[in-house]
This record gives sequence, C-alpha cells and structure tokens, in this order.
Amino acid sequence: MTLLQTHLSTDPAAPLARRNPVAKLAAALLPSLVLLVSVDPVSSGLLLAAWLVSVPAWGVGWPGLLRRLWPLGLALVMVALGNAVFTDRKGGATLLEAGPLLLTAESLATGLTAGLRVAAIALPGVLAILTIDPVDLADALVQHLRVPARFAYGSLAAFRLAPLLAAEWEVLGRARRARGLGGDRNPARALAVLGGRLFALLVGAVRRGTQLAVAMDARGFAASAHRTSARRQTFTRADVALIAGSVLLTALAVTTAVATGAWSPLLS
Amino acid sequence: MSEQATVPARRHRWRTVDIVVASVLGVTFGVLFAVWNNVVYATVSAPLSGSPAQPVIAGVWLIPAVVGGLVIRKAGAALYTEVIAATVSMFFGSAWGMSVFMSGVWQGLGAELVFALLLYRRWGLVAAVLAGGGAGLAMGVYEVVVYVSTYAADWKLVYVLSAVATGLVLAGGLGWLLVRALARTGALAPFAAGRAQSEI
Repeated sequence: MTLLQTHLSTDPAAPLARRNPVAKLAAALLPSLVLLVSVDPVSSGLLLAAWLVSVPAWGVGWPGLLRRLWPLGLALVMVALGNAVFTDRKGGATLLEAGPLLLTAESLATGLTAGLRVAAIALPGVLAILTIDPVDLADALVQHLRVPARFAYGSLAAFRLAPLLAAEWEVLGRARRARGLGGDRNPARALAVLGGRLFALLVGAVRRGTQLAVAMDARGFAASAHRTSARRQTFTRADVALIAGSVLLTALAVTTAVATGAWSPLLS
Repeated sequence: MSEQATVPARRHRWRTVDIVVASVLGVTFGVLFAVWNNVVYATVSAPLSGSPAQPVIAGVWLIPAVVGGLVIRKAGAALYTEVIAATVSMFFGSAWGMSVFMSGVWQGLGAELVFALLLYRRWGLVAAVLAGGGAGLAMGVYEVVVYVSTYAADWKLVYVLSAVATGLVLAGGLGWLLVRALARTGALAPFAAGRAQSEI
C-alpha cells in the first residue's frame, strides 16, 4: 500500500485560493466554532449551503472534492443513523422497531440534523486546507500571528520529511519481504509484521530528526536573535474582506436560527 | 559546576532537538493517521462513527500526545506533538478538514493537563496511563458535542467513559510501551527518556 495520497490539484489563481493562509484559517474556523454551540437545522443548513456555493471560488473542482470527501460522506450517514438510534427524542410515527432498536419520525429528524451539523462543521476547513501550502502557512503564522519562528520552521522542517518517510516505508516493506516476512494470510502474523514495520519507521524518523536538529543548529537555527524572512506574506484588504464575509455569514445564520426559534444551545 | 547551576533554569526551555524530534514524532504519526484515513478508515472507523463503540479504536489518535510528552519531557510537548500530528494528517487528505485540528487541540490539552498536574516531574507508566485517560476524556467530551450531540444523556455518558477507557489503555499503556521500546533502540539518547533507560 502506498503511504500518501497524491495531492489534489487546485487552481491557485482562484479568488479565495489566493488569500492569506491565516485569513483562510480564521474564516474557516469561525463557523465551525460557532456551530459547536447549537444543534439546529437552520444555522447548520444555511452555513453548509453558503460554503457549498463558495466551492468554485476556492478553485477546487467538484469531482476531485467528491473523491476526497467520500469517507466523510459515509461517516455522516453513520453519524446521522447513530444519533437517530441513540437519542431519547422518540416522538412521532414509528418507522422501524426491532427489539431495542426504535426509529421514529422525530428521532430520524434529530439524526439528520446532527449529520447536517457535522457536515457544516467540516466543510469550511476542508476547503481552506486544500488550498493552503504548508510553507506559506508557516511563513504567515510567523509574520502575522507571531508564532515563535523556531517552532514554526522546526515543524516545517519535520513536515518536509514526510515524503522521505513514505519512501522509507516502501523500503522497510521490501526488506521484510526479501526476508520472507509480510506475505502472510494469517491476520495475526500480518499484524505483527506490520507492527514491526511501523516501529522501524518511527525509530528511523527519530534518528533522522536528531541528525536534522544538529544540522540546523550548526547553521545557527536557534542562535539568530534577529530573523529576517525570505518570503514575505501579505495581508491585504481582500484578506480582511474574507474574514469579514465569514463573520457576516455566520452572524446571519445564527440570527436566522434564533429568529425562527430553531436555535437550541447544547448547554441549556 | 557552572554547567550544573544552569540546568534548573533551562529545564523548561526547548532545545532545537526537542522541537525537531517532537515535530518528527508528530509528522510520523500524522503520516500514519493519513494512511489510516485513506486506507483503513472507510472499512473500520467510518461504519462505527456515530455509535457508542466509536471511541474504542479512537484511542489510536491519542498516542502522539502521550509519546510526545514522555519523550520530550517539557511543558507543552504533549499538546505540541498531538497538534502537529493532527495538522499533518489534515494536509495529507483528511476528509474532516479543520475539525481534525480542533480534535487535536482538545486531545493534546487533555494529556498536557495531566502532565502539568504532575508538575512535569512524573514520566512513568502511571503518568502515561493518566495522561492517556486525560486525552480520552477530552476526546470523549469534544466528540459528544460534535458528533453525538443528540444522544440520550446516559448514552453520552457511555460514550465518554469508553473514550476514557480507550485513552487509558490504547494511548497510555501502548504509548508507554512504545517509548520504552524506542529508548531501548538508543534512538532517544539526546533525551532524559533515553538516559533513564540506560541506567537500569
């Protein structure tokens, strides 16, 4: 099995894809956080619809997005079903009754609301992350949010090891195969071989990280008091507008939910 | 002697090797999470999501917090490692978007809080298991809010308790075994976790 999925191609020139990574993250995080407060179909539905409408502006194609999101879709169905079964709101007409299992009109509506809400919480972040380059993100975090540079670039350096780790994973698998390991039909033995392979990957990664740290220190990584940045990130009016748009949309969705009486906070 | 005098003051400062190895641990687990997401998830995790059995295997997500804390032994290490793991798995194609990031923050905080309550002085099996439990509790509460928000109250309790149990066993126990095995390879030589092992 290959370790990493190939990157989904997106259009980097699309109006929202060009925005500052920090602005994208803020715009995506806000609705997700606000939706945690209440479970209702109105605010979740409105925000999900608004973000679905925005998909073309992110430069993400629908086929690629659907291919990426199908596990989420499967999980959403199961979340909806789980909530419908284990809720205590069981009013309305009975739809299905099998032993302790009871599905009614009200419990099904409750489950669907829960599924809708999870979709609305997840989608903004998916769009933001798909269009963010990790290098830009590290630069923007340091330049706009004043995240300590040692941590931002230290983690970025480690992130650059990910393709190496993927390659090493293949090598470890072939080395084991050459010694007659790893082709088992017996699941217990296969799991043991897999465990050994995972552990070898982890040990190799830690060793590589230790060497990398020495190399970085030798080049003055920790010593520089005045760090300059090679790549400037810009925070323009369009970035402010993106965040303002997200605030406005979220406020609109919440106001509508409250006005229609659908708003129901979890802690009440 | 002056070397020794500076040790207590620097106990909480992160060296470059702390930052990079914590990051590398986070990235490795993040890559493994990505594999899980892209290969195993649809067949194992997704069908269980939304049921009270979901947290049972979800303890796997909490391992980076425990391992990061035990290896680096610094304030913030558990939270940092877990957040890096969550972020990396997010960049390599998680369908969950930033809810993964939020999960990572809460789970990391759960483990971090336990290490903090132990004053960052205890790094044995007990501390590991408790930290795993803390991360499990945080995960359970967060997922009750997000995924199973309309459960009946007693089912919510079952959900949280099974999250705590999986955190204690899978994250705490397995995480501790993993760090011990790592120390035995000698890979943790630059860390106190590696030195403690060689003294035995």
